[in-house]
Amino acid sequence: MPSKSFDTPFLATPDTLEIRQAEHPFSFLNSKDEKLNALIVEAVNRMGGVGDDAEENYRRALNSLTKRGPSVLDVILAEYENLPEDSYLDRWSLVQLIVELRYPEAVKSLNRIIAARIPAEKFRKSHDMSTVAEEVMIRTTAVEGLVRLSADGVVEARDVLLKYAAHRTFSIRRACVQGLMQTGTDDDKRKLRRLLKERKEEALLKIKQVDVRSAPQPIGGRFVVPAQVKREAPPPDLRATKE
Amino acid sequence: MASCTYTVPDKAASGDNFYGAVICNQAYVDYFWNTYGFSGNKAYWDDGWGWDDCCNTSKPLARAFNGCYALTYSASDYLNDSYSAPILNWGRRYVRENIDDLRSFCGDGTAIARSKSGGLVEVYLGFFYSKDVPGRAETLIHESRHQGGKPHDANFPSGSVFGSGKSGADSSWDYEGAWMYGALYLWWYFAEGARTTSALRQRARQRGNLVIDNAFATHPGFSI
Repeated sequence: MPSKSFDTPFLATPDTLEIRQAEHPFSFLNSKDEKLNALIVEAVNRMGGVGDDAEENYRRALNSLTKRGPSVLDVILAEYENLPEDSYLDRWSLVQLIVELRYPEAVKSLNRIIAARIPAEKFRKSHDMSTVAEEVMIRTTAVEGLVRLSADGVVEARDVLLKYAAHRTFSIRRACVQGLMQTGTDDDKRKLRRLLKERKEEALLKIKQVDVRSAPQPIGGRFVVPAQVKREAPPPDLRATKE
Repeated sequence: MASCTYTVPDKAASGDNFYGAVICNQAYVDYFWNTYGFSGNKAYWDDGWGWDDCCNTSKPLARAFNGCYALTYSASDYLNDSYSAPILNWGRRYVRENIDDLRSFCGDGTAIARSKSGGLVEVYLGFFYSKDVPGRAETLIHESRHQGGKPHDANFPSGSVFGSGKSGADSSWDYEGAWMYGALYLWWYFAEGARTTSALRQRARQRGNLVIDNAFATHPGFSI
């Protein structure tokens, strides 16, 4: 139970916040096709869906976009490159969109995204905020796109995975190595092993993708609250009501 | 007292658009407020932080509630919060039992959140505006683990995105520290997260792998 009275009168002065609402994050400077632009916005919007039909709605939005063919890649990449550097989540969402569309023609775009220099860390004093971490997640997502294309038999995707198995960032190297070992040909794997031996990084081969059920789990229950104190959560699908 | 301003980013990919439409129900507002440490801390959620506008997902309180919704309902069998179930189930219980006070501050830009003594957790602007919705649930679990008695006990490994050699890492996965709890929660969210999309689950996977690769002095030897 709370150890204090509810909403105790406050003696000190708390922080105050003023928010500003940003315009739509996408500019579509390079695309005058308003229907296509709307499809991209809708697909990104549906990425963040919630509820029992969230995935279905997201898939429907992706299907509508897929019908426009691989020419959408140029629009998405241009949008990605026009976004401000610190719009990490918006940038990531466009990369995820390229990954989901699964066009073989996307190899060039994904290569370009991974190849881009990672800007220096902006939060040097922090242990939990990292702009480099955000940049790396964007690139490992692009690697995931290459892995899917490699699984589809796109040779160029495997070549790019092999190239970035020597990337300076550990997580990108690790993702490329795992992806190529899972989807590459015997020849790709031979080349990869040779590369890792030259770089003295064969330990990367020992990091295995595993199911969460086989990972060591923590032992919970050290701070158990008596059952009579527990209050059940309401069901997850109550209709929203305006306050 | 500090005053801060923030330009709210796009709410689409973060999940705030859709989660926001769901949490705007008094039953959820009451439950989250009374369960996850908001109660008694109205002053910290007022003055622009959303106390009087708790359905507005441009404001911090609604964005915190969105994280609480993900924390509470992302297991398909969410009513089972037994500690013998996956952390996706009992993460909410662990947060409930370890955070007494959840307070918002501007912060100095060097942290997403901090755990203080006596069940107090402070969350800063980055928690609301740079984290996606499941990422906020991860942060609450991470800070709860500090409240549960596990400080970071090692320096980040060479090449870590969090800064080679800096303090703030956990020594190993087996230490069962805050990074392990957060990564494992994201891992389960990726594997079995309910009422969400494959895109947000992929985002959880990328973040979980980033933590596994960079936040342990000794790499656990596996990935998601």
